[in-house]
Amino acid sequence: MAGLSKRQARPLVFLPYFAFLAVFLVWPALYVFRSAFERSGAPRSPMIEAVTGQYRGSFVYSLQLSFASAAIGVLVGSLVAIAVVQLDSIRGVRSALVGYSSVAANMGGIPLAFAFLAAFGMQGLATRLLREINVDLVGWGFKITDFWGIVLVYLYFQIPLMTLILVPALDGLRRTWHEAAQSLGASAPQYWRLVAFPILLPALLGGFLLLVSNSFAAYATAFALSSGSSRLVPVQIRFFLQGETITGKTNLGYAMAAWMVLITALLVVGFQALVRRSERWRR
Amino acid sequence: MMSGRKLWWSVLVVVTVFYAIPMVAMTRFAFQRVPVIKLSWSNVFDKWTVAPIGETFADPNFRSSALLSIGLSVATAVLTVLLLVPTMALAHLRSPRVRRWIEVSAVLPFVVPAIALVVGFAGAFRGTAPLFIRNPYGMVPLLVITALPFTHRTIENGLSSIDLRTLVDASRSLGAGWNRTIWTVVAPNIRGSIATATFLAITVVLGEFTIASLLLKNTLPLYLAYAQGQNPQGAFAVGLVLTAISASLIGITNGIGRRSRR
Repeated sequence: MAGLSKRQARPLVFLPYFAFLAVFLVWPALYVFRSAFERSGAPRSPMIEAVTGQYRGSFVYSLQLSFASAAIGVLVGSLVAIAVVQLDSIRGVRSALVGYSSVAANMGGIPLAFAFLAAFGMQGLATRLLREINVDLVGWGFKITDFWGIVLVYLYFQIPLMTLILVPALDGLRRTWHEAAQSLGASAPQYWRLVAFPILLPALLGGFLLLVSNSFAAYATAFALSSGSSRLVPVQIRFFLQGETITGKTNLGYAMAAWMVLITALLVVGFQALVRRSERWRR
Repeated sequence: MMSGRKLWWSVLVVVTVFYAIPMVAMTRFAFQRVPVIKLSWSNVFDKWTVAPIGETFADPNFRSSALLSIGLSVATAVLTVLLLVPTMALAHLRSPRVRRWIEVSAVLPFVVPAIALVVGFAGAFRGTAPLFIRNPYGMVPLLVITALPFTHRTIENGLSSIDLRTLVDASRSLGAGWNRTIWTVVAPNIRGSIATATFLAITVVLGEFTIASLLLKNTLPLYLAYAQGQNPQGAFAVGLVLTAISASLIGITNGIGRRSRR
């Protein structure tokens, strides 16, 4: 077939796209890494300094936050996904929950911080309603700007994201597998433990990694909640590199950014590998 | 198994309440002329007003940041379509290998978090092309990159769902040039995907905070963060409107996706 469109490929036509990526994505990333390894007189490489001593705490804090919100997000989001699939026979349940999940998974930033301040701030609506039924969040030391407060806010997009990941995976569980297991004498728990769970495992783990990287990169919500004084890594980077101010530690800021890229890259690669594995069952 | 169904229902009820509470609280805070400390069950219907929106509109800082955000949305959407549609259509026709490269490259923005991207961008361009940092529209390329994983996916789906080769061969054999073929034959056939990509790009720009914040450009989210201290009610009201706009854009894209899948 010698269609006209099959003429000799001219690689030049692809140049604008790849040049664009090279200039606006690859170059900035390389700049971050080049600066991160520049010692400029300091006794230690900024890459080392960024993860030792006083700055290590930022990474530990950011990662703890990401893992906590991802773990709870995976758990609750999966329960919601199972509930959606289990109650599929009732009209509207799936479209309402999946539809809202796709909206909520994209929420974040300043407006989300506002919403949680209005609900769970010191004088928030939910805080005061809960106090009326003797659930005294403030008395327990809960603050929306603290660790568990930020986790709660992040769950607003983590839970729906997990639901969106798991619903298709659950749909991929074939009815015939359940019937086969039943006819071989498996009980319902046995089916879930020995058949469904192993098949869903890559999707669950992949979802976990995606949720971790999702909250690891988040910046705006925490910034707005803490009025810019958070220990989170992105807020620290901003402190070292904001605008034109010279803090004398710019390379340290770049080193923290470089570590962020490395950690995120690891999470994304793991996620992609697990997704490919979980899709194997759907062919 | 009745108890099982009850369990799943309670899961859905709990999560729905969790999803609803912040939005309800924000709505009441933004649109009721009742001091926040007095909001309770008893005054759910009292003193609703849309005045906070009007007060915010009266603020010239708001108007300039809203105009900037709208301008950035349009510019980002246009640049995204101009960059992706011709390149990806050609890759589909001519080179599966390039198509694969584009696919891999479109995931790269996930690997470089916005904060790392923007500090690298600022550092790299400050010495070489400072215009990109000084001019607010210099951040458009970064916004295109931030939206790329989403926009690429929708264009890719659009191109895969049509018989691209036949369309292009027909157009070319009737004497149309490449540009004409792409914009008057291919583009209209994937208009649903182009609309979706446009909406997703707009959603990304309207919510983007990190890049604008580091480059000190007064977009809407930055205005909100600033106005939180000056006029909290107005800021919350605009934040809610912004959320509603993003939600409807995503709702529309879901609708487009469903219709084209049928």
